[in-house]
Amino acid sequence: MRTYLIDSEKDEVIIDLKKTIRHSSELIEFEFSSIKENKEINAEKVFIKKLAGNYYYSTNNRTWRKLARQHTPQKVLNVNKVYDLYRGFKPSGLSSGDSGELLTQMPGKVVKINVEKGQKVKSGDCVLILEAMKMENEIKTSVDGVVKEIHVSVGDALDSGVLMLEIEQG
Amino acid sequence: MNIRLKKQKSKRILIANRGEIASRVAKACRELGHIAVGLFTDMEPNAAHLEFCDEWVHLTGKTNTETYLNIEKLVSLAKELEIDGVHPGYGFLSENGNFASALDEAGIVFIGPNIHAIKVMGDKATSKALAKEAGVPVVPGTAAAVPTVEEAIKVAGEIGYPVLLKAVAGGGGRGMRACESEGEVKGNFEAVQRESKAAFGNGDLLVEKLIVNPHHIEVQILADKKGNVFHFYERECSIQRRHQKIIEEAPSPFIGDDEELRNSICETAIRLAKAVDYDSAGTVEFIMGEDKSFYFLEMNTRIQVEHPITEEITGADLIICMIQSAFGEDLQIPGQEFIRKTGHAIECRICAEDPITMLPAPGTVTGFETNFPQGVRFDHCLYRGLNVTPDFDPMVGKLVAKGLVRDVAIRKMKAALKGLYIEGLKNNIPLHEVIMDDPVFEEGKYTTNFIKEVAPQDRIDTSINHLEIYKKLAAAEARNMGM
Repeated sequence: MRTYLIDSEKDEVIIDLKKTIRHSSELIEFEFSSIKENKEINAEKVFIKKLAGNYYYSTNNRTWRKLARQHTPQKVLNVNKVYDLYRGFKPSGLSSGDSGELLTQMPGKVVKINVEKGQKVKSGDCVLILEAMKMENEIKTSVDGVVKEIHVSVGDALDSGVLMLEIEQG
Repeated sequence: MNIRLKKQKSKRILIANRGEIASRVAKACRELGHIAVGLFTDMEPNAAHLEFCDEWVHLTGKTNTETYLNIEKLVSLAKELEIDGVHPGYGFLSENGNFASALDEAGIVFIGPNIHAIKVMGDKATSKALAKEAGVPVVPGTAAAVPTVEEAIKVAGEIGYPVLLKAVAGGGGRGMRACESEGEVKGNFEAVQRESKAAFGNGDLLVEKLIVNPHHIEVQILADKKGNVFHFYERECSIQRRHQKIIEEAPSPFIGDDEELRNSICETAIRLAKAVDYDSAGTVEFIMGEDKSFYFLEMNTRIQVEHPITEEITGADLIICMIQSAFGEDLQIPGQEFIRKTGHAIECRICAEDPITMLPAPGTVTGFETNFPQGVRFDHCLYRGLNVTPDFDPMVGKLVAKGLVRDVAIRKMKAALKGLYIEGLKNNIPLHEVIMDDPVFEEGKYTTNFIKEVAPQDRIDTSINHLEIYKKLAAAEARNMGM
């Protein structure tokens, strides 16, 4: 079974659970690998044991280490990326949006809009300022073009993933 | 000398704050036999600090302005709850003279310094003037607010670049920006004004000289209402991002074993505190140049985030002393010579932010566990299920390690960082790990430019740790299979 890990920037990690062997009610063996460019990499065995309510893991069924508790692994953190976890399916509608569409990466409040509808912008221009956690963040466009639509106004409190601005490339 | 603890009537103390500091204050209240009354808001109905309070009350409102920043609401709530004293923690209304006045009028004790001290020190211009009067050195710059960008450019030209634009009412590094040229002053003036206005309700700005390769060193002060003022040595808080501290140490590795310098900076801080008739816990912040000359920056008239490292090296409980002082009680400190420091303590601020860009990263904690070595303290507001929202500061905890010498403290901190497990929420633990291993940090020779110049964030390994992911998935699968 495949598990898809997808982060907010559509970065993707695909993990394949190839084998599950239940040795006893207290010991299960799993075999995982990752899929990169249709190739299997990093194949690894993981044994899981439950003792006194805690889960322990081993890669050789000899030395064991405790696993930190996470009851609902819907998210997995890897240093600077938080991946949403999808077991067995890849969600649709997550395809990368047009790069001229500016979406909020985190919740925040619009404090300033630097552009008007119809205005020409260049890649790297700060089009909007969003305040989150008492800090101002400059939202820059990554494309050259013309502002097609502005969907927000100053003072709006936005959630993560909201479309703020559309820029028509050209 | 033997000091007996006197039995006293327990007081009702309202904690007008949230997060780890609310827990810390609640614990202190309970230790003193007082009743800790906590608050929760609609933004955070499951706040972790409530667990440590004796009672808690709903403070209605969906924004900070409607809740922790609302003087009228807090004062009327305090009256209704028959509160004897209010502890403001840090941030929010902790340095707001109007809040202290409003409480005073209502006959409620503000657990902090007197209103005069808050007002004088809360304004950069008046605090600088007072420091000058008391013979405390200050950084060259404007004494009063600069009204226009043209004026700012003129002043900057006079004192010479680089200069710092900063909010009159600022604090905690918010509302300030360094400018290397006229163009940068022009570019930043409006943004700093706007930020200050949003954060402090006051958009007035000052211009001052920027000290190159500076160290941020501050002295912990504690005073009572009888005129006794003590210092609790210094802290070095030079590791900062966006002018906000992320790692603090006590004592300062830059001062090192230069006891004469240590004495001089601590005595200067006491002189300033006496000049403003200080009567609570407070911090005098200095900027120290490469040549060890130091200048007064500001005085924080509240308990500070990093107070635990001072508590660790002196054995004092600053929050308790603050409460005692506010009610006019004895601090149980017979003299300065009774305040000794031993060992070395380091604090890493654990923040919900991207470890590389250091930008706030709200999210939900899906897993939280600790496994610390001996001698580690973790003041935090974390729990599994905690939703870190953009409404508050991204700091979720303070990891403090102590050792007899600095190297031991660093070793313990490294182990503690490895033993701190936070899942689902981006956090700066990977950054702290790189800093603890950094040779410049290890030598203790860093300046406030550390993050910019040494750039430890660029050395964070972001490669995917497959085994880490596999074992998490394996445990989830095992659980699904009914194990």
